[in-house]
Amino acid sequence: MATLLELNNISKSFKGLKAVNDVSFSVEEKSITGIIGSNGAGKTTLFNMISGVFPPTEGTVIYKGKDLASVKPYQYSSIGIARTFQIMKPLKHMTVMENVTSGALFGRRNIKSAKEAEEYALEILNFTGLYERRDVLPGSMGTPFKKRLEVARALATDPELLLLDEVMAGLNPTETDDAIELFRKINERGITILLIEHVMRAVANLCETVVVMHHGEKITEGTPEQVMNDPYVIEIYLGKEDETDG
Amino acid sequence: MMKKRFGSRHIGALLLLLILALIPVIIRNTYIQTIFILIFYTASASLAWSVLGGLTGQLSLGHAAFMGLGAYTSTLLLVNANLSPWLSIPIAFVFVGLICMLLLSPCFVLHGPYFTLVTIAFSYAFLNLFTNWDYAGKGQGIVLPFGAEDFALMRFKSKTSYFYIALCMMVLFYIVLRLIDRSKLGYGLKTVREDEGTANAIGISPLKYKMIATFISAGMIAVCGVFYANYFRFIDPEIMAESQAIEYVLPAIIGGIGSVTGPLIGAFIIVPLSQYLNAALSSVVSGANLVVYAVILIAVVMFQPTGIMGWYQNSKLKKKLSGFFDNLDRKLGFDKSQNA
Repeated sequence: MATLLELNNISKSFKGLKAVNDVSFSVEEKSITGIIGSNGAGKTTLFNMISGVFPPTEGTVIYKGKDLASVKPYQYSSIGIARTFQIMKPLKHMTVMENVTSGALFGRRNIKSAKEAEEYALEILNFTGLYERRDVLPGSMGTPFKKRLEVARALATDPELLLLDEVMAGLNPTETDDAIELFRKINERGITILLIEHVMRAVANLCETVVVMHHGEKITEGTPEQVMNDPYVIEIYLGKEDETDG
Repeated sequence: MMKKRFGSRHIGALLLLLILALIPVIIRNTYIQTIFILIFYTASASLAWSVLGGLTGQLSLGHAAFMGLGAYTSTLLLVNANLSPWLSIPIAFVFVGLICMLLLSPCFVLHGPYFTLVTIAFSYAFLNLFTNWDYAGKGQGIVLPFGAEDFALMRFKSKTSYFYIALCMMVLFYIVLRLIDRSKLGYGLKTVREDEGTANAIGISPLKYKMIATFISAGMIAVCGVFYANYFRFIDPEIMAESQAIEYVLPAIIGGIGSVTGPLIGAFIIVPLSQYLNAALSSVVSGANLVVYAVILIAVVMFQPTGIMGWYQNSKLKKKLSGFFDNLDRKLGFDKSQNA
């Protein structure tokens, strides 16, 4: 498998605060990679750098062998990178259908006619299980569906790399299972997924590789099993063994 | 959402248009005709404003200045080069559209009230420029040449001709807005209005779409300016004041910001209302009409901030009307299933 995304020693400082420090890892094509870590570990900052919200202070982001430094924020979707937002950003005054149509009209497909885009949007709505809710405003739906809408809109841009920022946070176990199934299906379409998640069950279920971040640094990387048995990860998540014993 | 084919809704709209078009034939009263011209003009200006303000969510209070630029462009071309106002319509559209687009382009990084403040600053800059500019008649303004009725110079004795010009302008602007609203451009503008972060994430450049919206919006209101100059036959820099811009923004707010039909409905309510209040109250206590006007506005903004269309979208009236038209469609044989 080829490498789709490569992060080389990227760092981000906000004035004095170093939010992300010297992180490197790569994402294989058609894989599902997870990023875990406690709050404030720098996961979303990392995502913002990958999706072009702001550039890294140091280091490079290489996508399909191309440095993304010169790519403008709105050009990311045309090269196949789509994302969802942790704090959901539905287009409030537009229906679910219109939200997704907007994604289809722009993005990589760049469909010219609104009618054609609407047909494609219906397909995406079907796929993501939002078809019945296509005519409602996002505000009248619960969190699980708003999260789905974020995914559907990103998916409508026809991405190769889908960045999911905590799309399973706040879902109950059944809803989480539904979401896991949806991401499997998306992955089966050949779309590479990079996700940030707190729900360990989801990460263990979905990801082939997991990157663990702590205080802005990458501390380890491996299969979910390797990572969860790593003494340092256990220490961070649960505290030191002798401390709890003593 | 199903796309409606030609049906009873269109027939209804055409009937409404026909009734409007027949008004000068039925009502010979010039005062009533004047009010209708004012309604059509205000509705057109408000529709123009809502390309930038409603669809794109960039609340501008500089549109009176953009209208004034259109009025001056047409007038100066007429006075100095004897160019027909009909020809200055496209010239004003492109010229004013480009100027406003370029002037405002550095300001699009500003959001919300900060952008609005800049547009107010622009309107005063233009007002002062034209007040002190010899070539443009300074503060006294310009009187358009009087003379015999001449179609080519958009010069008519009767109100009726202006009535039809204004009506055409309003209908044309409404159709343009409907087309934009449902097109790819409309989706782009609305996405920028809702969230610029999302716009970027799905491949929409907020700057580009704000510039396109400004070009269309300023261009359209410049066309209103051409009409204004040739109808009133006198312009001065005061038409550019920010207080004038409010006249173009209010119908959209009352009717429902962001909706295409909103500015139209707003103008049909606000213009007659302010005319009536002016006639009925200003003789009692001067300024009383403005107080009542303000109270109505405050009430709308407080209790129905989404305007009339915002209320209508979720109302029983819409369901009833919708059902009525669907029924009519079936009876008249415009039904989709029968057509197919």
